[in-house]
Amino acid sequence: MTTQPATLEGVAYHAPERVVAVEELAERLNLTKSKVQLFRKMQGLKELRYDPEMRFEDLVLPAARQVLDEAEVPLSRVTHLIFAHATQLLAPSTVDVAQELRRQLGLTRATAFSLTQQNCASGMAAVDVAGELLRLDGDPDARALVVTGEQAFTAGIQLIPDTAVLGEAAAACLVAVDGAGAPVRSYVTQTLGEYSNGVRIGKERAADLGQIYPEIFADTMRRAVSEAGLTLADIELLIPHNVNMMSWRQTIQALDFPRERTFLENIPRFSHCFASDVFVNYVTLRDEKRLVPGRHYLVASVGVGTTFAAMVITHRED
Amino acid sequence: MDRQGTIQAIEAGLTDVLEREVSGLAEETRFFEDLHLDSTSILELLMSLEEELGFQVDPDELDMKDFVSVGTFVDYLDKVVTA
Repeated sequence: MTTQPATLEGVAYHAPERVVAVEELAERLNLTKSKVQLFRKMQGLKELRYDPEMRFEDLVLPAARQVLDEAEVPLSRVTHLIFAHATQLLAPSTVDVAQELRRQLGLTRATAFSLTQQNCASGMAAVDVAGELLRLDGDPDARALVVTGEQAFTAGIQLIPDTAVLGEAAAACLVAVDGAGAPVRSYVTQTLGEYSNGVRIGKERAADLGQIYPEIFADTMRRAVSEAGLTLADIELLIPHNVNMMSWRQTIQALDFPRERTFLENIPRFSHCFASDVFVNYVTLRDEKRLVPGRHYLVASVGVGTTFAAMVITHRED
Repeated sequence: MDRQGTIQAIEAGLTDVLEREVSGLAEETRFFEDLHLDSTSILELLMSLEEELGFQVDPDELDMKDFVSVGTFVDYLDKVVTA
């Protein structure tokens, strides 16, 4: 029996309006002039959204409310809320953010929990988990809401040394099983546990990881395309996370995939927004009418620690 | 600028990037094996020299073969600085 696919019934994102140039963060992030240039010119990270005055709920809730409103499904049909985030602790230990989101969204029937272990690849993992949980429940009308979004509330969180400057954005994705939305045709991950110290692995091990990163990431994407029953020639666009330009230059070379079919335009505009990038990019393309119904899109992200993730989605109009 | 002057500029750039004194580089000194630099440190050095020596790099045109040793890097800088 063929497994019924998870389908994306709605995707939205929300970001602070305040745009900050990377050089404006030099003092906060203790960046020398050459580091700023490294980020701007080599890594292609030029601007990001960042608003320290914004309340967390004002960042995260609008996208979630938007997908729930647009889907026009009764809130009682939402049986799961998965809050996927990269920063391990986003609130004091007495606050369960997933439960708080569930309460504020009025999802009284939903089981709510967080998913964070795959760091910036957690958003894609949450879509997969949402599909699995809905399939287990077996209710064809049930929906799961995936929510991402976090703030760069310390300098340490806002910087992955030499690799990325983090911006702020939130996203939401309403998932069904075998619904009318865009079907998820495959999802593949590879985790290298030996780098689980994440941003604290040190320069030498980071250099080792840098050597193998493009090939392992390319391999993960090839597997996802193959599991979807497709070849790279069938992929209309690669929709990546926004970590930086340098790693994508190397990765698409390892994948032997054309740069003109890789969506890199949001890297200088948003920089890396934790686990929200791929959703922000998907919505950007959709809103610019650059997604074609029936065509296949390869979505890919990496979470420090280190998880490589790739997913193939066939676009359908909302 | 002659080759020795360019090597001195590289030493000054590396001193900034690595935040430790770097001197006595020879043309044969290899960035990765001998100095244990990673690729981002090389690029940061390039950014530091871009301003210092007054040239513009196109990130899409970089070839890591130019960054094997001090000598290959001096050859590269000779090309881009006079371009």
